[in-house]
Amino acid sequence: MPGLHYTISAKSGVGALALQNWESGFHVDSTASQPAAFRSDLRQQVRAAPSWFRGRQGRRLREMLLAYSFLAPAFIIIGLFGLFPLAFAAYESTLRGLNKIVGSYDGLGNYVKAVDNLIYIITFWIAAALIYFAVQAFVRAFQEQRQEKTKPLPWLMPGFLTAAGAALFTRFVFILLPEMLLIPSKLRGQANTQEAFRALVVETWWLPKVQIALWIAILVLAAGSVWALLINRRMPTSSRERIYFMPFFNAGICLIGSAALTWFTWTEISAAYTAALEEGVELELWSQIVTISAGFLLLLLAWRLWESASGRSSNTGVALRLVGAVGLMAGAWVLIAELPRVVAAGDEDWWNGLMATVFYVLGTVPIQLGLALILAALLFQKIRGQTLFRVLYFLPYVAPFVGTAAVFRIIFSNRPTAPLNSLLDLFGAEPLLWLSEPAGIIQMITGGNIDLGPILSGPSLALVAIMIYGTWTYVGFDTVIFLAGLGAIPNELYEVADIDGAGGWAQFRHVTLPLLSPTIYFLSLYAVIGTFKAFNHIFVLRQAAALGTTDTASIVIFQAFKRDTRYGYASALAILLLLIIMVITLVNNRIASRRVFYG
Amino acid sequence: MANETLAGGAFRLRQADPATRRAALNQAIIYTVLIIGAAFAILPFLYTVSVSLMNLTEATGGRALPSTPQWTNYTEAWHDAQFSLYFMNSVKITLISVGGAVVFCALAAYAFAQMEFPGKSFLFTLLLSTLMLPEAITWVPNFITVSWLGRISPIPWINNWPSLTIPFMASAFGIFLLRQFFQQIPRELWDSAQIDGSGHLRYLITVVLPLSTAAVMTLVLFGFVGAWNALAWPILVTTSSDWRPISYGLLVFLDEAGALLHLQMAGAIITMLPIVVLYFFTQRHFIEGIATTGLKG
Repeated sequence: MPGLHYTISAKSGVGALALQNWESGFHVDSTASQPAAFRSDLRQQVRAAPSWFRGRQGRRLREMLLAYSFLAPAFIIIGLFGLFPLAFAAYESTLRGLNKIVGSYDGLGNYVKAVDNLIYIITFWIAAALIYFAVQAFVRAFQEQRQEKTKPLPWLMPGFLTAAGAALFTRFVFILLPEMLLIPSKLRGQANTQEAFRALVVETWWLPKVQIALWIAILVLAAGSVWALLINRRMPTSSRERIYFMPFFNAGICLIGSAALTWFTWTEISAAYTAALEEGVELELWSQIVTISAGFLLLLLAWRLWESASGRSSNTGVALRLVGAVGLMAGAWVLIAELPRVVAAGDEDWWNGLMATVFYVLGTVPIQLGLALILAALLFQKIRGQTLFRVLYFLPYVAPFVGTAAVFRIIFSNRPTAPLNSLLDLFGAEPLLWLSEPAGIIQMITGGNIDLGPILSGPSLALVAIMIYGTWTYVGFDTVIFLAGLGAIPNELYEVADIDGAGGWAQFRHVTLPLLSPTIYFLSLYAVIGTFKAFNHIFVLRQAAALGTTDTASIVIFQAFKRDTRYGYASALAILLLLIIMVITLVNNRIASRRVFYG
Repeated sequence: MANETLAGGAFRLRQADPATRRAALNQAIIYTVLIIGAAFAILPFLYTVSVSLMNLTEATGGRALPSTPQWTNYTEAWHDAQFSLYFMNSVKITLISVGGAVVFCALAAYAFAQMEFPGKSFLFTLLLSTLMLPEAITWVPNFITVSWLGRISPIPWINNWPSLTIPFMASAFGIFLLRQFFQQIPRELWDSAQIDGSGHLRYLITVVLPLSTAAVMTLVLFGFVGAWNALAWPILVTTSSDWRPISYGLLVFLDEAGALLHLQMAGAIITMLPIVVLYFFTQRHFIEGIATTGLKG
């Protein structure tokens, strides 16, 4: 790897060992393989170079600056359109108003509108989880210290300082943002020219409070990073000292985030209480928080107990644990049964959107992965025309979604002569409404005489049609990735299994499946998250007659934004969606770290 | 497992050896399942082609094949839906955004793959964490950002090319994809480039990029498909057909064409054709690109 690091100052003596160690000891050395003549040649070159280039610090600095300038364009774009929106959406979600970018401040109002009092429970638990993550980072750092005899403590202050700097920078954004967004309204009454607008932008930028916030953030951030760099330089480069910057930085961010969130929620809850007092309504916020939280805690405990049961050898131990887990779950159920009352005043569209999304996940992901696994396993046999099959399977995924969705709109049309309805006609069945059918399929199968309620009646037939489209699109994609995963399994394992007399199924069960588990894990996570993000094809396939039963989370957000022009509310819903995706990812990672076998 | 080819299996079947007979049967089952799968994958496409060539009565009458192919449907759909306009819009948007993406992603990916600088792992984690963000969370903020930027820059952003291309000129996915390839380039090449007096930028342009054409190709293809698929964002930031891309154009046309199924299907074919043709010519790059990035998650 080195080579470029040969530009070493003359004083350090050019032993191979010194060369190897000079840059923080991270690099695997390949000098030993270089011929000596080549090396001396290089030394000649280095001596000929100008002095600022030869200096070790100068060289490092030059590479650093060049690297940052390479990163700059991409990071400006991603920062502006990929990261900044997160802070922006968080800010916007606290504002209320129709077709207003800067509405009136409403605190958690938008969230209360979406999920009712559940939002207080959610913020409480996020704050708790952040503290848990911070503690976890500490514990891990110190456990490692004991094992590897390294010193994490010097990294504490720079880590925390940088975290504080990052938090202060966010604060700066929150101070600057409203000022900048108010510029258009300040222009009212003046000549609405671009010059006037730009002048106001400059004026806003130089506002004292903006500048002060900016410089505080920069100073703290700089102090933290310079401190970290100093420690890094002081570290003996020969020993493989571990860098503990990230754990402490993360812990700092978590703690600050938790504190900010707790403060914010606290003021919101107090405000809610004052408002309730004035109106003379009884507010059961605290009891609700305690009840629901206790319910989820019990659920967590039950899961833990269930997990530990699988590791036991004695049958009674397993049985006792399972009984305990079931008991806890029953208790949790009683407490969580309070939930519908807590979220009663939430937004029905939003809940329906989430329910549709969950139906969609349950109805597509297992089928899609199962079919893809079968196809991939068959294709992986020595098959003629493997490439052709692969190309054809992949086609639905590649073809533009709007185009294929337009086709399925006609296939699933409610006309009696539409393809699927003529197929039904062949079997003597009545034509169906397909994409225009709002009734749940279980409701339809059972004859529609009994009212099963929204959950039990299942996804609407319209949503089922969209699920079929979704499965059709993604099976080929999953098959291709499964094929790549199968190709990565070493052939020797199958040979050994053959010698051991394992048959086709046994080989599949005990060799293929465990070694394919990372791929299965990746694909299921990808599919679930993809479903929560799904927009295009559902937007094309949705029909007014389906009464919104096909609207998944993303569609509801889009409608809140585009149709209702409730910017703050749409932002709040988007933040909730992000939270759901984060929880899914976290839980998935947890399960994967135990169940997935990385061979 | 059954390794014989179909022909070999059939030949030995005559010798009535039970093991080979079972192998041949296995093969037959495997092919049947695979062919059924392939049929499901392409039937909707064949159906589309068929309907797009029918006249109106045939299309609504539920026939399987047109009596005489109506090729004029395509020209009719092309004119009715203003596809020439939308087509050019999409091509322009794709060229600008993909061109930018290749330059900016290559620079950033090179820095991550071949250079040393403080904060490297931190910045990379930050980059990858943006992959988790749902598009929905960026709609409101980016819409406001884009309209605000239009007020201070010399050209408007809303309903113009900057809002449709600049946000897509760098992506965590693209940087990640290119970095995976750049990392595999042996360090010795850089050593010798250095001896020849080459700096990082020249090395990137003259050595690294030519060696990674496969990766760049994959990035271009993905950019192409992404631009062709874009729907939510163009709906938000375009106010007239001047810059609306083809997917939006098709959506508008679907509503306008109403009951004219044959024209709708011709429009769908027109929209899908460029991507499908591109895919058939580059399918190896495409599938391998997906497989490598997918596996590494």
